[in-house]
Amino acid sequence: MKIREFISAKAVSADLKAKDKEGVITELVDLLIDTDAIDRKSKKKVLEVLMAREALGSTAIGQGIAIPHAKHKSTKQLVGCLGVSKEGIDFDSLDGELAHIFFLLMAPIDSAGPHLKALAKISRLLKDKFVRERLKGAKDEEEIKKIIDQEDDRLMSL
Amino acid sequence: MPLIRREINVKNPQGLHARPAALFVQIVSKYDSVVTIQGNGEKVNGKSIMGILTLGAQKGADVVIEVDGEDAQIVADELEALLTDEEK
Repeated sequence: MKIREFISAKAVSADLKAKDKEGVITELVDLLIDTDAIDRKSKKKVLEVLMAREALGSTAIGQGIAIPHAKHKSTKQLVGCLGVSKEGIDFDSLDGELAHIFFLLMAPIDSAGPHLKALAKISRLLKDKFVRERLKGAKDEEEIKKIIDQEDDRLMSL
Repeated sequence: MPLIRREINVKNPQGLHARPAALFVQIVSKYDSVVTIQGNGEKVNGKSIMGILTLGAQKGADVVIEVDGEDAQIVADELEALLTDEEK
């Protein structure tokens, strides 16, 4: 599985504006709606399931990364988007660090496999400190897209 | 110092996804023992959610935990209970 299979080139933001958890999740969902990955009519429900998932325990996984994710019937396949916050957002991470890199994933109901594979893939990508720094410092969406393309190729060749 | 090595069959319905991974790290962080978890030919630090997620362990996968320290027994028991919890 490649990252660009579930993150379309358009579903990327190099400069998230939100200042808090709910705000950033809303901004990321809007990104998914703008790229037609999710139907606008489902926005409220999708936000609800994502916030309910956060209430179970933060999806911040440390080192400035958060992976908000949930399942909803509005999507037939795994879809996602990627956003970077320059300032960082308090996402209740276990290590106390602000989150800068956000991968939001929405999966169909009754799908465990692809979801888990995507989480594994994202973790593999972001384990590399150099990749994290490059994403955080990316000046625009084009640069983020380039990083993802390069890393997708590198990870596939391992 | 006891070193406990245990092979565990993951029973979490959605595999070792983000929530059980976070709970795993929370357990490890409570104690002094050093923990690693292996699966799929890789060995990662038991205190790293990101590391654990890279294993991509699905339900039914076998993982191996190694717990090293004075409190290894209780840590291994708690981790095994988590990984075999069918409701997490």
